[in-house]
Amino acid sequence: MGRKLPLALFAIGAGTFPYCVQRVFLATPIERQMGTVQKIFYFHVPLAWIMMLLGVVCGVAAALQLRRGSRTAEAVAISAAEVLLVAGLGVLITGPIWGHATWGKAWTWDARQVSTGLLWLIFAAYVLVRHYGGVGSERLAAALAIFGAIDVPIIYYAVKIWKTTHPDNNVVGSLPPEMWASLWPCLGALVAMSMGLLLIRTRHEKTEMMLDDGWVQIEDLARESADKDKS
Amino acid sequence: MLVRQTWILARNDLRQEMRDFELVATAGFFTLVVLVMFGLSFSSLGRHAQPMAVPGILWLAVAFVGSLTLTRIFDRERESDTLRALLSAPVDRLAIYAAKAMVTLLVLLGCCAILVPGLVLLFDAAAPFAERPLATLCLVVLGCTAYASIGTLFAAGLSTSGGKNVLLSVILYPLTSPALMFALVATRTLIDGHPGFDAYLSQLVALDILQLAVSGWLFESVVIGSNAAGGRRRPSTRKD
Amino acid sequence: MAFHNGSILLAAPAGGDYEKVEGRDRETIECQRACEAVAADKTASDYDHIVWAYGVIWALFCVYGIMLWRRSERLSADVATLTRKLERMS
Repeated sequence: MGRKLPLALFAIGAGTFPYCVQRVFLATPIERQMGTVQKIFYFHVPLAWIMMLLGVVCGVAAALQLRRGSRTAEAVAISAAEVLLVAGLGVLITGPIWGHATWGKAWTWDARQVSTGLLWLIFAAYVLVRHYGGVGSERLAAALAIFGAIDVPIIYYAVKIWKTTHPDNNVVGSLPPEMWASLWPCLGALVAMSMGLLLIRTRHEKTEMMLDDGWVQIEDLARESADKDKS
Repeated sequence: MLVRQTWILARNDLRQEMRDFELVATAGFFTLVVLVMFGLSFSSLGRHAQPMAVPGILWLAVAFVGSLTLTRIFDRERESDTLRALLSAPVDRLAIYAAKAMVTLLVLLGCCAILVPGLVLLFDAAAPFAERPLATLCLVVLGCTAYASIGTLFAAGLSTSGGKNVLLSVILYPLTSPALMFALVATRTLIDGHPGFDAYLSQLVALDILQLAVSGWLFESVVIGSNAAGGRRRPSTRKD
Repeated sequence: MAFHNGSILLAAPAGGDYEKVEGRDRETIECQRACEAVAADKTASDYDHIVWAYGVIWALFCVYGIMLWRRSERLSADVATLTRKLERMS
């Protein structure tokens, strides 16, 4: 089952995608105020939700890793953080593209933009620590992920307060209710893709851990037999 | 018991510091240098722009000095491997965390004692710092506590796990961004003479309590666990 | 009898009152064309932005997929190395 699940998820994503495109571009009316460019939202918003969800997943997995020493949780944490970075990069690039089309300005220091950017930085730091930290730094990285997950509401609140001293007139549009019907298939396709990538990456990480263990055991065995031959 | 252990450990560190004043001298000089750099860069700001720049200058300088201080405090530990010895002693882990955090906070406050008057001298907009010294003191203490609480946890973790020091900066700046924003807003209201200052101070207090609690709770796991790792990786591993 | 033919009213009815055809004098036409040009520009620019946005999203997922694929190749090679080593030892 483990092998097939990511493939099934990719198949679901791939299958839903043409339906999404049809709905977004052909079946949904063009939004009055913003025009065609509003259609970017149909992928921008689901990516943002996926990013938040993966942030929570990473934090919870890191907590489990610290509490129970679970290696699966450790693998899930790094995978969630990496997919979060991909999704977050998508949000942070498509947002300014949309902003540039609508307001002529790409980065507007809007509250949501800043919050997303800061959370992305925190989890990028997590991935860097996991990759480049010393051997014992997994627990430190886990603490970082837990702080990151806790900081999600705090950062939103802090940026909201910070914004009151930097007022500006731009308002990020929210999705009108009649367009939700097009949003759900897009969300489904993206979630399926992201979960497939997450599962594959988790399996890679667990394989790496097992390979490390196996190598250590073989080295120890080799050393023991060399000692035995000597004596 | 916890308080007593904390006090003993902190007093030990402070006594060591009093011997050669290395940390205070280097951190203090670094503060001065940062102040001069900011003065050079932003002295030409107009009257209207200065009140917006001064909070940022203050708290960014604190962030830079904090990063340097933490690196130095734990480098000292790593050189003599004293942290590991401390961990194997029957000392409450929370006391270790509290002692280190307190020492970091004291060094940061010492640097702010140079920073705030320096800002008052260099920038006209910083005059409210001199006019309301008590409020400024509260603000500075609370802001520096926020930095010290997170920084101590991660600097300790990095020093026991053999991680590279550059990672501390990578970790610290994004994580302290909420604290930075709360402190910025509070400082701005102080400078502008806005009535909401007390509310922002109380929010900073709440943030400090939260960060201290979470860091204290995580300290043991982070510092203990890294000693137990088997440690070896297969040679073909290239983490990419 | 009046013909509404193109832009020319062929004959004015007797009595002098006629129905003015809207939007066919030069000024209004030019104004309309200008508005349409603005709308066409916006549509073209919107398409540009949409294509870039979707392109970026798919490029990101592709790049990550390729990274995962390369990693899996490397892991397979490592497994093979380890197996060989094990066989040599036993």
